[in-house]
Formats: sequence, C-alpha cells, structure tokens
Amino acid sequence: MQTKPSTFHFLLFIISGLLLVTLSLVWWNSSRHPAPIPLTPTLSGETEYCITCHADLPEISASHPVETFGCVSCHGGERLALNADLAHSAMRGGANPSDLSVVETSCGGSNCHSGSEADDRHHIQRVTTSVQSTYAGAISNILFTFGAQPDLTARFGIAAVTDENTKTGITSLQAFDPVSANHPSIQKFGEECLTCHLHAEPREGEAFARETGCAACHSTETHTLTTAISYTQCNACHNRGNYDLRTMTFIERTDHATTRLQDYYQPIAQFTQCEYTLDCVDCHTRSEVMGDGDIHNDQASIEYVQCKTCHGTLDELPRTKKLTDPNDIAFTLAFLNPVVELKLGDTILVTEKGEPLWNTRVLPDGTYEMIGKATKQYFTFNPVMGSACEQKPDEQESHYCHECHAVEK
Amino acid sequence: MRPSFFHHLHPPTIPADQARWRHTLGAGGTAVFLMLILGVTGILEMFYYIPTPEEAALSVQTITYHVPFGGFIRNLHYWSAQILLIVSAIHLLRVVFTAAYSHPRRFNYLLGLALFVLSILLDFTGYILRWDVDICYPLLTGTNLIKTIPFIGDFFHRLAIGGGEACSTGLLRMYVWHIFGLTLPIIILGIWHAFRVRRDGGIAVPPPQARTDNARISRNELVRREVLAMFIVGIALILLSSSVPAPIAPAMDSTPAAIREAASQSAKAPWFFLWVQQMLKWGDPFIFGIVIPFGILILVAIIPYIFPKPADSDIGTWFPKSNRLAQITMGLVSLIVILLTLLANAN
Repeated sequence: MQTKPSTFHFLLFIISGLLLVTLSLVWWNSSRHPAPIPLTPTLSGETEYCITCHADLPEISASHPVETFGCVSCHGGERLALNADLAHSAMRGGANPSDLSVVETSCGGSNCHSGSEADDRHHIQRVTTSVQSTYAGAISNILFTFGAQPDLTARFGIAAVTDENTKTGITSLQAFDPVSANHPSIQKFGEECLTCHLHAEPREGEAFARETGCAACHSTETHTLTTAISYTQCNACHNRGNYDLRTMTFIERTDHATTRLQDYYQPIAQFTQCEYTLDCVDCHTRSEVMGDGDIHNDQASIEYVQCKTCHGTLDELPRTKKLTDPNDIAFTLAFLNPVVELKLGDTILVTEKGEPLWNTRVLPDGTYEMIGKATKQYFTFNPVMGSACEQKPDEQESHYCHECHAVEK
Repeated sequence: MRPSFFHHLHPPTIPADQARWRHTLGAGGTAVFLMLILGVTGILEMFYYIPTPEEAALSVQTITYHVPFGGFIRNLHYWSAQILLIVSAIHLLRVVFTAAYSHPRRFNYLLGLALFVLSILLDFTGYILRWDVDICYPLLTGTNLIKTIPFIGDFFHRLAIGGGEACSTGLLRMYVWHIFGLTLPIIILGIWHAFRVRRDGGIAVPPPQARTDNARISRNELVRREVLAMFIVGIALILLSSSVPAPIAPAMDSTPAAIREAASQSAKAPWFFLWVQQMLKWGDPFIFGIVIPFGILILVAIIPYIFPKPADSDIGTWFPKSNRLAQITMGLVSLIVILLTLLANAN
C-alpha cells in the first residue's frame, strides 16, 4: 500500500508541529530554573553555585567572608550542581560542618583551626580532648558509684581519644559503651544522660536547642559564628535542670524565668552580683571552656578561675601584664570580638596560668575596667587588697566569698 | 526526478512485506536512528567532558547544569543509549523468532550480534565516564572480572584499564575505548551489517512463490515511512529526556581505598549487567561472571549453525514450526536474563 504524497505531507506537517511543541517544552523547562549565580572564593579559586539558592543566608562571621571562603570550603557538597539533592549529597556533617565527626576536614582543613600547639592552631585537638567533649568526669563518677571502677580516675570518654604529650598523666580514654555495662543504672545513664556533650544531639525542646561540635557554643543564631557567646548559649546545657541519680533521669526546669537574675542560677545556688551580671565567658577562659589540649579527669581539674583571679587577695593584687608585643594573643582575641580597643602599652589582667583577660584593663587609679564580651557593658571593679574584706588567705573558693557577697533572690 | 542521496541508500523497490511494522517491529531502523543521535549528542558532550580523574565528574556536572541545554543533550545521549540496548534485543529476538538468521543471512546474524555486544560495552564505558561514586562498583567488579580469566586475564585487564589501579589510568582508557576503540568498530560493522542486509536480499521474507502478497513499495515510500518513524521516535525521546534526567552522583575521590569504599556503599551494577551481578553472588567470579555470560553469548551466536535449517517457506514468518528449537533456546536465554535482572533488582 502506497501512502499518497498529499497524505504524507499532511502527516509530516502534523508531526513537525508536534516536534516543535515538544522542543518548546524543553526550552520552557530549562528557562523555568533560576539563573545560576557563580561565586569564586579567593581561597579556593573554584567556582561554586551555592548562592543561587542560598543568597539569603547571613554572612557566617566577619572572619569568614563569603568572598574569601565561599560555602564549599567548610560545607563540602557538590559545588557545580544545581540540583538540591546532588548539591547537598556530599555535605560535611549535614548542615553543620563543625560536627565533631567531620570537623577535622571542615574547620580543621588547610590547618585553619587544626595544627600545632606552638602556633596556637590546635583548637580541634583542644576541643576533642576537653571534658565538654569527653564527658569523662561524669562517666567515671557513675562507673565508680555503681562499682564498675575502683576510683574516680577517668578511663572512658564519649569517643576514644589519645593525648601523647599529656601533662595531666591521662594518656588516653577508651570509648564508653553503656550498653554492655553490667549495672542497670549505668545502662540507664547511657540512655538518659548522654545528651550533654559536644558529640550529642541536644534534648528535644527549645530551651536545649544547640548545634553539635564547635557550633554548640559558637553559633548563637542561624548561620552565624561568634566568640561573643552569651550566657544563654551556655544555659542550653548548663542551666536547664537537674539529674536525679537514684532514677538516672534528667528533670527539666519547670520555672519560666522572666529576669536575668531568676534565669541565671537555680534557687538552691548562691551567686554574687558579677556572676549573674557578666556572661560566663567574661571570666571563664578559652582553655577552661574549650580545653587546653590535655585530657582532664573532670570539670574541676580544668576550671581554675576564681574570684581572686580578678580581685586578688588581701595580700596580693591580681596578676597583670603590660602589652608590649604587637603579636600578643590578647590583640588577636580582641580583634576577633572587637568590644575593646587594646593598644600597645595597655596593662590587662591575666590569670594564674598567664591567660589574658583581654577585655579588662588596669586604670590609672589602680582600679580595673571590664567590657562584657557579649553585652559590651562597661564595668569597673576594685581589688580586695586595701578593702575591709575579712577573708583568710587560704580560703579562696567561691563559697567563702559567697558567705558575705551572695545576693538573695 | 533523480533520486536524492538518501533515496539512493535504498533499493528502488522492495516487497511490501519487508517494510511492515508487524514484521520488523521497526527495531533495526530505530537502532540506526538512535546511533545517529548518540553520535551527534556524544560529539556535543565531548566539547565539555574532561577525561581526568579530578575533572571528569565535575565536567559532567558542568554539562548537566551549566552548558545551555547541556542537561537535555546529556539526557538524550543517556536515554538513546538505554533504549538502543532494548531495541537491539528486540531486533535479535525478532530475527530468531522469524528464522531470519537462516542461510544466506548467517554471517550477518553474527555481525548483528557483534554490534549488540559493542553497544553493551559502549553503554558500560559511557556509564563509567560519569566517574562519580555510583560507578565505583561496576568499575571495580568489571575490571577485576577480566583479571580472573586464566593466562590472558592480566593482558586484557591491562588493555581495558591500562595497567595500574582502576583509578589512575582507567578513566583515560575507558574514554578512548568509548570514543574511539568501540565506536569505530560499531560504525564499520554497522555499515557492513546494513550493506549485508541488501546483499542478502533485504529483510528476510518468505520466497516469492510462498508469499501471499507480492505487492512492492518504492524507495520514496520507504523513505517517507522512515522519516515519519524517526519523527515519532524523536518526539518520544525528547519527551523522555526533558522529563526524566540521566542519573548523576557526587564526584568520587580517585584513590584505590576511596573507590573500594564507595563500591561497598553503593554496590549496584548498571541495569544491563544486573543479571551478571546476581550470578556473582553465587560463587566463583570466573565461572559466574565470565564463563556463563560468554557461554550464553556463544550459544546465541551458534544458533544458525547447530539447529536444523528452517524450511525456506518459513523464513520471515513468526514462530514457524521448523524453527522450534532455536525459539525455545532464545526464549529460555531471555527469560533467564530477565528473571536474574528482576531478582537482582528486588534485593
């Protein structure tokens, strides 16, 4: 059977029309997508297209400008992909590249926050050996209490960790495995009480909301990193309830604080005015909070700042240091959180271990000033020496000071 | 009017029977059309594809997301390649089930089978060129299988991926095999195959005395039908390519350890080798991955030579009695391959 030329031409006309329709469909399909927005960060020199969709995110921090770092150097992911699934498929730590499982390649990559103690780039080593990450004190306490170890020496951490250059005598911690423990209370501890370390996802609830890893402390809002860490950030773990050791359960705070005073400490604790006015980071130093690179037995063995660190004793003034070296770490810290303009020749307070309290300065009249790291509030304070204080030189723990200086709610 | 070049590629007239869709299923013609599309889209992809371990997957992403209509061209290439395998298989089944392989077409049957094998290898090498985490398992398994062949395995392994680990020299080899080493033979054998179709008397139909319909159609009519068929296949292909994207996965880290890790994370062969992957679960890779698949290939290849010659009047008719053994053999082979594929996909 022959097709008539006229029929053929008619069919050809119809089918060409169909072809045109499908081709315009292809064109329409490809024009629906937003135009790709390239960004070539100076650090990598490799073009990425993340901001095609993520242009609305705030800059992560002044120290990490997007023009320099881009997104991929921290987050990973497929930099060229314009399909959400593929673009996000190889991201480090999901949305949080500072999660401790990936932190070495993200925050630690290119020796940014990872490296030697000598050039003070060992932040990740400090964090992963710190009690905030190992939870060593709590674990050894529970194991000792329920007869699983003979003393309070730390043997286990949340993850296995070693410290070859130990100054504390603890060279390593094994990974804690509560599931195989032989005491039900230890198993219960594992189920109920392991949400308060940097590896762990927080408990459910707005009051506990925080990220894991570095961002647990340093990320106070969506996609921001800061060293101006307010007390509320610390409260996400440190002031949200109590443990009942008989039932091995965590009991959330039920009071709803309306003032800073009520929020800061729980009813049973004593506190002084500076403790509820300042932020935790105004007194507690980098090495106390983030670790000093050594494995410590428990919180008490790394915490050392006391009232006398700033106020001195009846016999001694607090320690001070005149800034003469432009490379002094105090200038770096003040640069990263610019609440105070430190100058060469300024005299600041330092801790007993020599850590700079860089947001303080000695004033010409012998008193001191402090600017809140998170609040930028201005304070002045006096030394104990020369005052009417009746403290004994060997009684310097805070509870001795609280006897006179505690504020009642 | 003097016939144009395209008309001249066809005989002046052919028996109407040879051009009936219900007789040919249009499979051979569709395969030629798909190969033309593969050639054109493949050349377009070559303008952007970079065959180095560091750049390969990124250049695929560049093609997919940043080259104007690059994603569409890549989808066309992908879907043409997948459909080519299906159409080729249908073509092979048609030839066996209509006893079309019989003398004088026995040699062309072998040529066709070689084209089918080359298409599978082209699909496989093309799959590997994505060089993303999902290709690690087939890359490792495929190349390691070659090594299991006694005596000559190492030589063929070197031939396939160039000595070293799959990650170092493998990509460039796969690229050259895909662009040149397999494409050139498929072009030459393809032209030879088409030439032999004409030389052997056109598409197999019963001899004139056994035909019920002795009508003939002109080359003009044949070309018209071909044009319409190409348009229809083309539209279907465009619709498929604009709605279902070709698979893509994150770039892989080209170190031996990372490739092994990625292979264990996503251990899935491309769909046309799932039946072999299923057999590999059963034991010795040389037996299940080389001997049995090649045994099946050889069995299919010798069908025209070992079974009784079909009756002349049966050639070109569907499921003739005189050809039962070959139909059963081919049917069983197809059934086994399909069942193994479904089994692998279910796991």
